[in-house]
Amino acid sequence: MGLRFKMFFGFVTLILMLLIAGIWSIYELNAIGSSVPKMLAENYQSINAAKKMSEALEREDSAILLLLLGRWQEGRSILNNADSLFSANFKFASANITLPGEQSHLDTIQTYYTAYKGLWLRPIVGTQKEGSLEWYFQSVHQAFISAKNAVEHLIDLNANRMYQMASALDNRSNRAIMPGIVAILSALVFTLIFNFLVNLYVVGPIIRITKGIKKFKEKQTPFDVTIETRDELYDLSNAIGDLCQYYNSKGTAK
Amino acid sequence: MRLQIVLRYIAFALLLNALFMIISSAVSAIYADSGFMPLLYSGLVTALFGIFPLIFIPPASNISNKEGHMIVVSSWLLSCIVGMLPYIMWGEPFSLTNAWFESVSGFTTTGSSIVIDVESLPHGILFWRASTHWIGGIGIILFVLSVLPFLGIAEIVLYRSEISSMAMENFQLRARSAIRILTGVYGSLTLLEIILLLICGMGLFDAVTQAFATIATGGFSTKNASIAAFNSPAIEVVIMIFMILSGIHFATIYAAVRGRIRDFWRSTIIRYYLAALLIGTLFTTLNIHGKVYADWLSSLRFASFQIISIGTSTGFATADSAVWPMFAHIVLIFFTLQGACAGSTSGGIKTDRVILLAESFQRQLKKLMHPQAVIPTYLDRQVVRPEVVANSILYISIYLVIVLISTAVLSALGVDNLSAFSGTIAAMGGVGPGLASVGSMANYNHIPELGKWMLSAAMLLGRLEIYAFFLMFTRGQWRRTVAY
Repeated sequence: MGLRFKMFFGFVTLILMLLIAGIWSIYELNAIGSSVPKMLAENYQSINAAKKMSEALEREDSAILLLLLGRWQEGRSILNNADSLFSANFKFASANITLPGEQSHLDTIQTYYTAYKGLWLRPIVGTQKEGSLEWYFQSVHQAFISAKNAVEHLIDLNANRMYQMASALDNRSNRAIMPGIVAILSALVFTLIFNFLVNLYVVGPIIRITKGIKKFKEKQTPFDVTIETRDELYDLSNAIGDLCQYYNSKGTAK
Repeated sequence: MRLQIVLRYIAFALLLNALFMIISSAVSAIYADSGFMPLLYSGLVTALFGIFPLIFIPPASNISNKEGHMIVVSSWLLSCIVGMLPYIMWGEPFSLTNAWFESVSGFTTTGSSIVIDVESLPHGILFWRASTHWIGGIGIILFVLSVLPFLGIAEIVLYRSEISSMAMENFQLRARSAIRILTGVYGSLTLLEIILLLICGMGLFDAVTQAFATIATGGFSTKNASIAAFNSPAIEVVIMIFMILSGIHFATIYAAVRGRIRDFWRSTIIRYYLAALLIGTLFTTLNIHGKVYADWLSSLRFASFQIISIGTSTGFATADSAVWPMFAHIVLIFFTLQGACAGSTSGGIKTDRVILLAESFQRQLKKLMHPQAVIPTYLDRQVVRPEVVANSILYISIYLVIVLISTAVLSALGVDNLSAFSGTIAAMGGVGPGLASVGSMANYNHIPELGKWMLSAAMLLGRLEIYAFFLMFTRGQWRRTVAY
């Protein structure tokens, strides 16, 4: 194989190592860049909606206590506003399902909320329920806790997913960095081997050829340099050998 | 020593590794898993490192013994280094230390693992793990020689440097024939086991990886519960048969296949090897019956599998032997130290050396009674040269000294004594699982970093049969290193 090809192959190898590593790193970083923020945003929006649902539930609970105290207008107003807030955020969360199991959590929330709402939709002020703390603790508060817990589970699901994604992000960023590190180390080792081989099979023969020519010139020693490789240096050595022989036969050497 | 010649031959080993990495990346592509890019990139880098010296360095017609040793040891070390690339690039749980440990454990067919959840690894990485067993099982250089055209004197030197000195003693064949027989038996056994496992109902991927690990006497499984996960007596029987076969000198298997069955049964080594496994199984069954398992059949089933697995240095598991009684532990420790026959893929001290030790002890007793008598040591009705006996005893002594040192270091690092001792002998013997915290259903993840490096060194020492490894670090090996 020719010297030109060997040198070319050496450099191409170096370029290939770095190029593939670079492309892979870019691919991995791009994958992180495009998928993770979207997923994080979706999870964050679900958590936000769930928090607002939880807040609406709290307000509804306070409003029921106002109704128990006989403050009908104030209580009903808060209840209607809180119900609107809950419904809007429930609707948003239902349209933003990104995780397995999220739908079943929403179904549970809906079931518990419907049961809870059923308790305060019917009149409270002016009925036997007014002022009845027993009714509140036995029915309303239980339904409120169940609905709130269901909402908390939805928050947990999304928060856990965000944590998992952060861990996965660490692993993926490691995967994006590793090809670069491996490529740099490989390129370093490869450069050392390349340098060793260039010294051995290019620089070494050139030195031997130079010494051979000098010996021939100064002491008329026959030019005898062995080149192991069958490349341009081998041809050069043979050509110089022939030239020396030619000069010897002509008797023109010094 | 000519470094360029060493580089040229190591290049073949690198290309072999690159080939298996690219096959593993193809497996990853089939299963569309995350192992594809790490395996492909590792394969390409390894291939480039392999091709380059072959292009630059002209072939050499002969190599010296020093160069032969250097090529063999360097091939093992470099294979372990490039072998960790797919792990390290894939990520958790493979830190630098863990990737090195897993790679060395794979190539040396030890089968000790740091992976807690094996089933979470992508198929491509699992296939690569099994491949490292299969490449290392027969010996990296031997594998390379089997696929290359005849290399003349170089091939003979490399064959002598790679194969166990004990195996060569009872394998008096020309290098080329020996390589053909070894690789032929190796390949045939693997293929046969894959077919039988498929018949038993195992999936193709599991059958191939399990067969790679069995024939190489490795022990990496694709399941967290190892072979217990399949819960199939038929699969266990097939694996047991192939573990036993993989522990026998491959030339003896070849001779038996060629019709020389009588030679097979007349071999002292084989008879001892099989009898030891049988007696070990019997004693363990008696010991664990009633204490761990209520019925005899379960006791026999689990005892036989564990004894054969440890006695052949494979390391597969169907039961948690860490909870077995002390006597069963002692039996397992004996088999971990002993290993199987020389000339097989197994590790350990080897039955051949154990027999020679017993024979020379007997000889010594006779010598005390008849001081003037010339009493040779016999093995298979043939006189064994005194230097072979001396070498075997020396080998056993050095082996035990290394075990002692490594155990002491691990204990000093805070590993409990039983785990330190059993882990060390399991690493040296290429067995894999030890006892206590490194038992058959546990792993090596919790071992301190330095301990993992120590155990990796023990694995390499055991696989390279000590001398070759130390030879590489002697000044004589590096003296008069010339570039041209």
